[in-house]
Amino acid sequence: MANDREVLREIWEGKVPVCFQLDPEEVYDLQAPDPFYLMVPRLSYFPLCTDKVRKHFMRHVQQEGQDKPENEMWLEFNGIPLKWHIPIGALLDLYHNDIQLPWNIVVHFRKFPEDVLMRCNNKEIVESHFLSCIKEADVLKHRGQLVSNMQKKDHNQLWLGLLNDKFDQFWAVNRKLMEATSDEGFKYIPFRCYISEDKYIQRLVKPLLEDGHRKTLKHLLNELFPNEETASVRTHGIIPSLDAPLQWLSEHLSYPDNFLHLILIT
Amino acid sequence: MSEKEEEPQTGEASEPKTPDVAAEETNPNPDPPTTEPSSANNETPVASDKEKKIEVLLKATGDAPIMTKKKWTVPPDKTLGWISEFIKKFIKMGPEERLFLYINQTFAPAPDQTVKNIYDCYGTDGKLIIHYCKSQAWG
Repeated sequence: MANDREVLREIWEGKVPVCFQLDPEEVYDLQAPDPFYLMVPRLSYFPLCTDKVRKHFMRHVQQEGQDKPENEMWLEFNGIPLKWHIPIGALLDLYHNDIQLPWNIVVHFRKFPEDVLMRCNNKEIVESHFLSCIKEADVLKHRGQLVSNMQKKDHNQLWLGLLNDKFDQFWAVNRKLMEATSDEGFKYIPFRCYISEDKYIQRLVKPLLEDGHRKTLKHLLNELFPNEETASVRTHGIIPSLDAPLQWLSEHLSYPDNFLHLILIT
Repeated sequence: MSEKEEEPQTGEASEPKTPDVAAEETNPNPDPPTTEPSSANNETPVASDKEKKIEVLLKATGDAPIMTKKKWTVPPDKTLGWISEFIKKFIKMGPEERLFLYINQTFAPAPDQTVKNIYDCYGTDGKLIIHYCKSQAWG
């Protein structure tokens, strides 16, 4: 793993320029506020990096009832509410074909789309979602043994590493979670393969073939989509080689939640 | 969601009883509430035939009331959020109360995760066991 540490660092440092604009219908001032530009980390979640965006636009919307939970800020792209619990980079890959940079995102404070989005009025909700994903991934990788033997301070360190964009802090703990317990690698590879923004496939896929050879991305796609001969995936803005071994991909291209987020291209 | 079968009464003996008995006595209605999220009625025949329904076993934990029926069959494309809403209505929780679902007694699945994905990864003996509680149980 040590020799591929640069890959981890490159992935961690991926950022995307976003132009946030308030929904014109929600502007309460005579003049519409300026758009707000921000570089956001691909590996993060929107609620963790949009405090400044909220502050910028709050002054320009109707003050009355602003603190009410139903007036929680939410984001929309091309008419679609953006799911905050999907990592930003995975959203970017999902809407890749429609996005031009900077990524134009519309900010809303009204008409929260209850049926599509989970409520997220504080960062603790993101934290529990994030840690739950890590636990689930560990159930797949190591039968959940590593994460349950960790102390609360290790969980905190993973969370604070992500929250504060501290690579070393995060990886000091995450490296243990990404260790293969045997020569065979993980028990199963934690991944989510998105067919669309609201549908993804998750299955038990081992890192090795029956004959002991390493499975590649091509094997994974054949298992999931036996009838799609030309399937490939996008992740972190790239289309990885179909010959890339699954175990390597899992160790190096997983998001901080320890899952690979792969977007199907057919 | 359709009713699978009545849980054998003997099976209940092993469940933690204390807080649940009272809740069950005040809530003896064994039938699903009429306001439950509809399922089979909304499905087109094609969609429901396409994939088999999944058997789900709902287990109360902590202070959550036990459900009078625990075994249900659920269309595979339903989400965990939908199941959560169903349980809340069945055990008569208010919309503002929170219900937590756990898989493997370890992690809370995302509400938009499908029953099929969770069953494929964590189903055992042909069924999916989901624990529910009113406070965070396994972090």
